[in-house]
Amino acid sequence: MSRLLVACFVVFPFIGLFLTFPTSLTWDESILNTVAYVIVVGFVNVWLGMGTAWWLLFTESRWKSWVEWLTFLPLFIPVLASMFGMYIVLAQIGFIGTYTGVGLVLLVTTLPYSIRLAYNAMYVIGRPLLEQTLTLTPLTRIVFVLFPLMRESVRTIVLFSTVIVLSQFVLVQLIGAGLVPTVTTRLYQAYAGNDVSLALQHTWVLVSLPVLLYMGLDALFSIWIRLVKGRLQ
Amino acid sequence: MSRSSLWFSLFVLALPFTGVAFLIYETVGFDWSELNEAVWRTSLAVTLYVTIVSTVVSLVIGTWLARTVYMKRSLWLMSLLKWPMFVPHVAAAYLFYLLFSGGFPFYGWIEANERHHLVVIFTYVWKEVPFVFLMVVGTYGQLNHGYVDMAKTLQLKPLEQFKVAEWPFLIKPLLDSFWVLVAFISFAYEVPALLGVTYPELLGVLAYERLTTGLFLNAFESYAVALAWTLFIFSGVIASYALTAKRRRRIERGVRR
Repeated sequence: MSRLLVACFVVFPFIGLFLTFPTSLTWDESILNTVAYVIVVGFVNVWLGMGTAWWLLFTESRWKSWVEWLTFLPLFIPVLASMFGMYIVLAQIGFIGTYTGVGLVLLVTTLPYSIRLAYNAMYVIGRPLLEQTLTLTPLTRIVFVLFPLMRESVRTIVLFSTVIVLSQFVLVQLIGAGLVPTVTTRLYQAYAGNDVSLALQHTWVLVSLPVLLYMGLDALFSIWIRLVKGRLQ
Repeated sequence: MSRSSLWFSLFVLALPFTGVAFLIYETVGFDWSELNEAVWRTSLAVTLYVTIVSTVVSLVIGTWLARTVYMKRSLWLMSLLKWPMFVPHVAAAYLFYLLFSGGFPFYGWIEANERHHLVVIFTYVWKEVPFVFLMVVGTYGQLNHGYVDMAKTLQLKPLEQFKVAEWPFLIKPLLDSFWVLVAFISFAYEVPALLGVTYPELLGVLAYERLTTGLFLNAFESYAVALAWTLFIFSGVIASYALTAKRRRRIERGVRR
């Protein structure tokens, strides 16, 4: 019974998606920007997350504990608070109001989670198994061993980074100086303008993007693993 | 591969610390008594209330669900709990806004945009429970069931069984989750801006509004609040990790004889 109640609590907010008809989807700059940021930030997160986690697991260095703390501590800095500081920093180097500036701060907010997820996944797979791949070239190691083994973690990293990117309004508005429209910034404008249908259309986009990406990655990994397994025969 | 990505990661991860350093630089000479306004005080109070209630409720429900899934092998519940993770905070806030802004007469006793911030808390709990669940369920997966069996053999009460056989292993994931959630909820804009009220506002909303209105004339107030809040959370993190260090190390490495 209690589990059923929890299930109802999980499902019930989705009713909101069907309360009003959303306006028909029109492709504009905000959607293109959002999709581009999601893909680029997701890709860079997988690359940096796995690379840094690999270094933390396999490299003996006297700086290791410092690096561990440096990757861990940003999780405890409130994003908005550090954003105020980064606003001052990026203003000094002319990154305010640019796509690069927004991309960089989106990376700052997502990377600590990705490193932790990748590290935990590699730790669970275990050092002995991963050590056997050390003799391979980096590309072979990634294509034939790491990615197939870390299928679920890669999907989780992409999901986390996508959802965090899609959640950011202040960050994009502040660092983008209002010049970088995304679906999230448009949602706030529609909300402030009391346009429920338009706001709901943006909400649909925000919910659909992570789901589509997650399912797409699953299909891609299935094909990938089938191809890798084919080499065994 | 790993070295180049490490350097790039270090560059990216250094940015928030540089940001905090610049906040310190900007607030040198700031008159801190300016923050002793009623608006900031009420904002602090309501922020603490929303943060603590949302975090504690999320931790309790998330841990209970992880335990239930682990004990009863409830795979369908595990899959269902992933659903909120696909919804960005801002979209979740808008869905709750639609449901609780008068559209449903049944919910008339709880409204969006009311001063008790109940819908803000609901939204955070809905979004953060799966996060806590994921943090804790891994620990339950690795838990040595022998401890629970031993506690049962000694005929301890269920609460005592939990206390001796499970709780010591949950300290680390719960401590991590607690501070991640506190840092996230206490100084955010998106959810409280959609579902909160204009007075009292949560710290993140008030700080952002003070920063961006009036040609950045009140920017130093916002910088000071951001800095003070970051340092407050950092002190809490360091103190709680230092206080539990001995116990956590003992759990991770075992007792040396």
